[in-house]
Amino acid sequence: MDARSRILSRIQRALKDRPKALLPEHPHPPFPEDPIPLLLARLAENGAEPHLLSPEGAQALLRELAQGLPGVAFGQGVPTPFREGLNPLPPEEAPLGVSWALFAVAETGTLALSSADGRRAQLLPPTHLVLVERERVYPTLLQAFQDLKELPIALGLHSGPSKSADIGQVMVKGVHGPGRLIVAVLT
Amino acid sequence: MRAKAKLYPKEAARLLREKPGVREAVTGATLHFDRNRLKAYAEVPIAEWRERAKAIKDHALSHLDQYLELAEKRLKENGVQVHYAEEPKDAHRLLREIVERRGVKRAVKAKSMLTEELGVNPLLASLGVEVYETDLGEYLIQLLGEPPSHIVGPAIHLSLKEIQTLFHERFGTPLDASPEALAQVARKVLREAFLTAELGISGANFLVAETGTLALMENEGNIRLSTSLPKVHVAFVGIEKLLPRFQDLALFLPLTARAATGQRLSTFVSLIQGPARKGEEGPEEVHVVLVDHGRTALLADPEAWETLRCLRCGACLNACPVYRQTGGHPYGYVYSGPIGAVLDPGLLSLEEAYPLPYASTLCGACLEACPVKIPIPKLLLTWRHRAVAEGLSPAWERAMLAAYRRVMESPALYRLFSKALRGLPLPQDLLPLLRAWTEGRGPLKPSPKPFHQLWREMEEGHGR
Repeated sequence: MDARSRILSRIQRALKDRPKALLPEHPHPPFPEDPIPLLLARLAENGAEPHLLSPEGAQALLRELAQGLPGVAFGQGVPTPFREGLNPLPPEEAPLGVSWALFAVAETGTLALSSADGRRAQLLPPTHLVLVERERVYPTLLQAFQDLKELPIALGLHSGPSKSADIGQVMVKGVHGPGRLIVAVLT
Repeated sequence: MRAKAKLYPKEAARLLREKPGVREAVTGATLHFDRNRLKAYAEVPIAEWRERAKAIKDHALSHLDQYLELAEKRLKENGVQVHYAEEPKDAHRLLREIVERRGVKRAVKAKSMLTEELGVNPLLASLGVEVYETDLGEYLIQLLGEPPSHIVGPAIHLSLKEIQTLFHERFGTPLDASPEALAQVARKVLREAFLTAELGISGANFLVAETGTLALMENEGNIRLSTSLPKVHVAFVGIEKLLPRFQDLALFLPLTARAATGQRLSTFVSLIQGPARKGEEGPEEVHVVLVDHGRTALLADPEAWETLRCLRCGACLNACPVYRQTGGHPYGYVYSGPIGAVLDPGLLSLEEAYPLPYASTLCGACLEACPVKIPIPKLLLTWRHRAVAEGLSPAWERAMLAAYRRVMESPALYRLFSKALRGLPLPQDLLPLLRAWTEGRGPLKPSPKPFHQLWREMEEGHGR
């Protein structure tokens, strides 16, 4: 017998006389009217810099952030108008990364980023700008997960800048990932 | 990590004597975590969350064989290579094979208690692989050559001053460098490691059977980097980590974050389905190692199996007045604090972990904190009963209790001893137990009349 069958048979022996526990359903909380204000508030509490902007406004914000920088690393899903006039750089070198979020969650102040968009641009530059469409904002994590049709290879949930309190319990930002997270919710 | 649990009382006493700063650092950090947890619990219907989480874990554990097989099937469909490890040597064999096949010179590791159990770091070092712990706290203790002191905050026992000295010696930073400056030094060293490592190693907070999803929670971004940049990712997963459905994560991710650090969600969560698709960034190979290492034996235990619900959030450590005095090192095994005191005997054997079930005041704070309602106080008593039944308790304690029982069972002996206690002067300065009691209190004065006599007099006085 191999390790697998030995482990499985030990489990079956252990459970032989154990009553089977039932699997409870998850409750469906009422859907708040507009999750946008909550998302913006929670993102700010998480240490991110949230904005509610038109696509043109977000493009202007990006240009402002990129001013004086040698270039920007783009995620796959970032639409062309956002890239125009900016120098694309590999994520290892770029001081700014721009991503297109799959969805956002208001209750936790979270952005969901797909590996299909490219993970390096989401993690390596010290500043990260995430764009998310207003229609893709869910009130709760459960609603977002229940609505998810297909899972990317790696789904990253980002709820603020990279941080750690491991050095003397002092909160430090930008430990490994981006120390600045800027979010534009597109109207 | 070799278990040194038997040394618990000695090690705790030594630490308090030799490193009094640890108590201050650990108490400060755990009180902070615990306050955050209470605030985060108060924000949600926590009673209902805990009950539901407990029920889902119990369901998963009572169908563990089915969920394990389903998870394996899904993982394989996603292109993940699945392995089973009964013992550390199985994990070692697999790692050795990968190191040789892929020519691994450098590995980056995301903090994982299971890899501590399996001794992954010493194994890789023996194979000539340079291993970097990438969680900042874990990196600090790796530089010091220490094991983790806390399940979530491995370096909470270190003061800023100690870390400043460590970095001064290792990297030549000024002795008064700010935490920001120190973190930047570590970021630079570890960024280089992320970009050059051939192998990334992680644990997992959860494994979802329905989708074959590995869920990993963190705040720094080092786990996302460790699982994204190297060409090979190996995840070690305890078989108790299974969840039935993907949507269960919507409960367990926020519940674990609230219990562990008081956050609504960890800053970064990675939900990994497998190796990168063609043209996509990410690892070429993903391996999931499903680890037993004592877990099936614990599952078979009619009382102690409930310990397997544990989410490794560390909330019970933060709530524990005993853990707060010394941090985790004296416990002598990977898992410390109240959960360690009930999990270690189950994983190791009671004999190996003997005094740990006594490392508690039975105040019940751990049960209040536990997000999945593990009855830790009850289990501490279960292990203590077993220790007594197996004759593991010290001879003096057994002799004392046997004598006490004899006296309490015989009215004649009881009268004799209570008379002697009233009549003879108590050697209060000689007996350490009495001395500890009388410090800050007056001397112990036995009542001149025994209780039986007082009772009789009271009854007669009332004319009944």
